[in-house]
Amino acid sequence: MPSETAVEAKPQAVKLEPGKTINLPSAVLGLAVASDGKLLYAACLDRFVYQVDVESKQSKPLFQHRNYASGVKLLANGTQLVSAGYDGALQWFDLAAGKVIRQVDAHRFWSWKLAVSPDQKLVASVTGQYLAGSIDYVPADSPEPTVKVFDALTGEVRHAWTLRPPVLSVAFSPDSQHVAAGNLLGEVGVWNLGTGEQVAAWKTEVFTSWGYIKSHHYVGGIYGMAFSANGEELLLAGMGDMKDPMAGNGAQTWQRFAWREQPARKVDQIHAGEHGNGLMETLTVHPSGEMFVMAGRLAQGNWNAALFQAGDGKLIHSIDNKQRNIEAVFSADGRQLFLAGAVGQRGRDKEGQCPDFGRIQVMTVAS
Amino acid sequence: MARSSPSADGLRQGCPVNEHTLHRRLFLEGCLAGGAASMLSWSGLFGQSAHAEVAKKTEKRCILLWLCGAPSQFETWDPKPESIYGGPFGSIPTKLPGVHFSGLMPKCATIADKFSIVRSMKTKPGEHFQGIELLNRGAEARPPFIRPTLGSVLGQQLGHVDNPVPNFVLLDPAPHGNEFRAFKDGNWAGWLGAEYAPVRSGGEFKIPNVDRLAEISAADHHDREALRRFLTKKYENDQKSAAAASQNAVFSRVDGLMSCAPLFDLERLPEADRLRYGPGTFGQHTLMARNLVENGAPFVMVANGMTWDCHVMQHEIYQMLVPELDNVIYQLLTDLETRGLLDSTLVVMMGEFGRTPWLNASRGRDHYPNAWSLALAGCGIRPGVVVGKTDDDGAKVVDRQVDEKNLFATIFSALGIDPYAEYLLPGLPTFHRVEGHAEPIHEVLL
Repeated sequence: MPSETAVEAKPQAVKLEPGKTINLPSAVLGLAVASDGKLLYAACLDRFVYQVDVESKQSKPLFQHRNYASGVKLLANGTQLVSAGYDGALQWFDLAAGKVIRQVDAHRFWSWKLAVSPDQKLVASVTGQYLAGSIDYVPADSPEPTVKVFDALTGEVRHAWTLRPPVLSVAFSPDSQHVAAGNLLGEVGVWNLGTGEQVAAWKTEVFTSWGYIKSHHYVGGIYGMAFSANGEELLLAGMGDMKDPMAGNGAQTWQRFAWREQPARKVDQIHAGEHGNGLMETLTVHPSGEMFVMAGRLAQGNWNAALFQAGDGKLIHSIDNKQRNIEAVFSADGRQLFLAGAVGQRGRDKEGQCPDFGRIQVMTVAS
Repeated sequence: MARSSPSADGLRQGCPVNEHTLHRRLFLEGCLAGGAASMLSWSGLFGQSAHAEVAKKTEKRCILLWLCGAPSQFETWDPKPESIYGGPFGSIPTKLPGVHFSGLMPKCATIADKFSIVRSMKTKPGEHFQGIELLNRGAEARPPFIRPTLGSVLGQQLGHVDNPVPNFVLLDPAPHGNEFRAFKDGNWAGWLGAEYAPVRSGGEFKIPNVDRLAEISAADHHDREALRRFLTKKYENDQKSAAAASQNAVFSRVDGLMSCAPLFDLERLPEADRLRYGPGTFGQHTLMARNLVENGAPFVMVANGMTWDCHVMQHEIYQMLVPELDNVIYQLLTDLETRGLLDSTLVVMMGEFGRTPWLNASRGRDHYPNAWSLALAGCGIRPGVVVGKTDDDGAKVVDRQVDEKNLFATIFSALGIDPYAEYLLPGLPTFHRVEGHAEPIHEVLL
């Protein structure tokens, strides 16, 4: 997220201090934060995109998709939203007018992840259904492009590429010149947005499991990714190998690649002794560029969100906020971190109501 | 082994009446002719060639698509798209007016008039091992007595000894599988005896090490086996040796496997068939099951590990699993019908329980025995029937609650087997195929 606000961060002494927790009716799959950090926009499993007032913790639905709303980002200097959903659609919403101004049927299957270029000119969405493609359940080829880039102003398709489905993560480079995407099998592609050419492709094995204990198929993948502040490296997030793909207990994992090198070179990965187990779904670089946060679900260990130094990859600080973290977003000034996700859904109470299970936790990035 | 109960004649039977009459009569004749010893197997019956020929023409079969791990009813047969618990896959109309399946099952939707759905199963165990035990044996455990599994019972009841194809085949690619492995390592045949345990294959699609050595002619092999059988049978009778009896059963099975090994070789089947069933192991094994029953196997159980147990990443895995299941069921039922086998082949599609309506923090669904679904097709089953109903969230059965005993009574009835027959087990308590005289699910029976 671009910011002209002075950024304060001293990685060596930084801590995440829990602040308020905001409940939403349904799990939050995507989150956008207004530049002042006072309003949030949440894409939720109940199909709605909500506006959330941080101070009052009140939320109101703005518009909805035909299936899970899976992503939301701010556009046009904060005057518009663009959202994505499991209906395969992208929707543009004018905040002042309070209405959807454009809908694009982007994919035949779900939009797994949504990204907006730092210059706010492009929108990227990734898709792809995992269908059995071989005796050992390698994913079948996709019948449609799985990485699509749209003009943020018009909604027109600017690029369409195919990486083996399902493609779970996407990120723009800080200079808005490249876009990267990662899939279930740990395959990564980087494309030049000017020429449309793929400029890097590699596969990293660590994020994907093939079932050994209970079932024979693939599970996992690259769930989160982000370019480093200088754009030279690409950070990937997920979890390590599991014998039992149903367990969700692979090692909490990030890897960092020098993607411009041929072949791409792994520079670093989460350090031994600094991780527990569980799927990491989101990775975001702090506005200062000096650290990044990775967050997700805790299976075993003692944290589900942690700050790491961008330079040497060392763990700075970690917390367990007792929820599944699906998207992490820093405020523009870097002083706050918003962790969006869910707790477990519960059955209806005596009044027939389904208790809220969406959560956004506001964390202070404290020195 | 089992004695027909007086009430059995009053049961509605799914297959043509003459077949049932014949089977029961043959059974009784076989028992009387064979004496007490042969009452423990079908050998006294089917050893008579004339009867064997008749039985072949009327034989019934069963394929169990064992969806181990427990599939979600919401993503298969009982979608709740309007519920907050419904999930992302939606629902689609089927060929049956007003009946919807999960949006992941478009192929089955087109043949919904060819099978039946039970949406109102309610069982007790909420853990896999106990659930697997219950849905394979049809009754709660009563240690130390071990009730035979459905496959063992049907292998005994539908099988015959002049058939070289195993009476009970388990196709399963996953050697491990947590609770399913524990079950697999257990006693399948219970009090029926080891000869009714399954022959297990899978993964490699061929049974290894059963080829006759090149230097031994077929005649030599036959003579050697006859001599071995004579000597061991004599020893078994003289010594009243259970060990020798088990050894004989194993040798007979291996001998049978040698002759039927090609049935386990998918490469011998047309490539078009292999393509239709899809590339995954589950589809290929189901094709093999079709081939086996077509060639005389009375019971084939197709498993695929415990793949349906998606406590985490359920959406990510079900996007693949359910479309595969959809295609496999479609291909199997269509094939059986095209080949004239559907009326004589019962297909059971189920796991050990269902999944919770509510999603856990990992966006998975947990174990839920309180309200779940299964499907039945073929022999003795009235097609196009939907039995039972759950509430708007799929949390409770609100109409026509049934359980494992009702299900097993249905399966036996559909196949023309007396559900309430009493096992003849000297020295053991009284057991019946289905305890408590539980009623079959009459709506799905022809």
